Amino acid sequence: MIEPWAESGALYGWILAMGILVGVSCGLVGNYLLLRRMALVGDAISHSVLPGLVVAFMLTHSRNIPAMFAGALVAGLITVGLIEFIHKKSRVKPDAAICIAFTTLFALGVVMTSLIDKGGLHIDAECILYGEIAFVPLEPPVEWFGIAIGPQPVLLMAGVALAVVGLSVVFYKELLVSSFDPGLTTSLGFNAAALHYGLMAVLSVVVVSAFEAVGAVMVVAMLIIPGMTAAQLSSRLPVRHGLVVVHSGISSLAGLHLSVWLNCSTAGAMVVMGALLFVLAWLFSPSDGLVWRWRRRGSDGSGEEGTVASPGGKV
Amino acid sequence: MLSILPSARRILRKLPLILAAGLLSVGPGLFAADGKKIKAAATTGMVADLVRQVGGDRVEVDQLMGPGVDPHLYKPAATDVTRLARADVIFYSGLMLEGRMGDVFAKMARSGKKVYPITENVTKSRLLEPPEFEGHYDPHLWFDVSMWAECLPTIITALSDADPAGKAAYEKSGAAAKARMTALHEWCLAEAAKLPAEKRILVTSHDAYNYFGRAYGFKVVGIQGVSTVTEAGLSDIAKTVDFIKEKKVKAIFVETSVSPATIERVSKDSGATVGGELFSDAMGAPGEIKGGHDVGTYEGMVKYNLSTIVGALQ
Repeated sequence: MIEPWAESGALYGWILAMGILVGVSCGLVGNYLLLRRMALVGDAISHSVLPGLVVAFMLTHSRNIPAMFAGALVAGLITVGLIEFIHKKSRVKPDAAICIAFTTLFALGVVMTSLIDKGGLHIDAECILYGEIAFVPLEPPVEWFGIAIGPQPVLLMAGVALAVVGLSVVFYKELLVSSFDPGLTTSLGFNAAALHYGLMAVLSVVVVSAFEAVGAVMVVAMLIIPGMTAAQLSSRLPVRHGLVVVHSGISSLAGLHLSVWLNCSTAGAMVVMGALLFVLAWLFSPSDGLVWRWRRRGSDGSGEEGTVASPGGKV
Repeated sequence: MLSILPSARRILRKLPLILAAGLLSVGPGLFAADGKKIKAAATTGMVADLVRQVGGDRVEVDQLMGPGVDPHLYKPAATDVTRLARADVIFYSGLMLEGRMGDVFAKMARSGKKVYPITENVTKSRLLEPPEFEGHYDPHLWFDVSMWAECLPTIITALSDADPAGKAAYEKSGAAAKARMTALHEWCLAEAAKLPAEKRILVTSHDAYNYFGRAYGFKVVGIQGVSTVTEAGLSDIAKTVDFIKEKKVKAIFVETSVSPATIERVSKDSGATVGGELFSDAMGAPGEIKGGHDVGTYEGMVKYNLSTIVGALQ
């Protein structure tokens, strides 16, 4: 239990902090994505950043982090804009709109990469953008007034997490209404479109920052899994927000221990633990856990196959 | 809770070692004069090999990337961070070979940590760069033995800095390593000369052999580009097949750290045989013998690669 902490507590402490910050930022945004049936948008952005990276490289002739981050961010914003545009201006459903937008942008990136790769140059997100959570504590600490505060990626992610928490408090009512009933939102005098684009812009910032900090595996998963776990346990948004925070804490801590125990990828282990929490919530949710449903079926003999719960949408 | 069992098991497994160490430490003079060994961490096998040659008995080298690992895409395990944090000095290849990990190392170096890209003092004019993108150097310079030897001074200086008492020892073993590398370079030149110049054509799956080609007079055709991620384009494959037929190349080669699918396809279409598996971005396992060479060492790997190429093209 104490193995990671006994000897290198500070090192693993930063990894744990990073895991929680990424989990909270992605999870809170994820709660809204699930309600809007846009859970896969994180996966989409993980692919569609590629053309942004190539363009940023062609403009700056550099593969350094700020240039790549800017390129990825612009590509992310274009992706979410494109998704919404396709969805609004055609009869394409959100999931299909996501697929059209990101596959097109990714393909564009692959074409551009193979054009410049003729010079023997190497550009891909895995190698030049995605960070690695295991290396977070190795980053030199940022100093303020001569006092070492902590590794730069952790501080940046803390800023992102604070912004996400702040925005979801300030725009709580607007986001709540618009996530369920865009029509009602407009009649209440809120601008539904502006809210949506705002949410999507925040999403791009969160996702790209988190890619840069910990890589894609964890980000794509943490946009969906904490929110889905919370959705099994409660239908109230504030409760779900709270559960997402709890989920981040448990999955990060358990994942860190799992990865030290098996000496495997930390990001991967945190996601596996997060998924395990989802399965537990699914099985033992007090309101409609699978186990209770099985037991009920066993006792009164009537199956419940007919009731298909709509995940994330039943609020 | 998860980690209670393994840690207990690990201690039990190490118990004989711990006891032995306890007994040994009673006897004087069994360790280096100033007691403890310097701990050095190294990324790839090629880097670790050079550090071992210079460090000798005074340095304990911890190699992060095992055999067959692609350094561009290395996924660190959870304990890598403690291995790196415990190291007195860290060596990496540099020139973006290690991808994002290299960025972290560069930042650590800037903040004053003892972290060194061993390629940093290699003669800049000898580095290859794509014509359109200056400064984005090809990192695979270990296949030109004379260039890899240029990394030795950086390692000697770095180790002497971390362990001033060993300065003379490092300079001595560094000079010996330099002599071995010079001999190896001569051996390579002689081995390559067994092939007539027009037969020195090396077709492989990615462009890891440009320095090798320049040093030993081979024309190098990589189907995939420098990175191991980019898939080969259809026109690349067709062009390579035409080239092989035109030049009547007898054999083409697969690499241990890259998927062989493309090369096998080209082999089928062009009629050239697959001449063997070459090492590129990673060496073999420690003590692994292939073709009479210990491919777990830099020297053995270089000799194995070249004799495989020469054997298949003759």
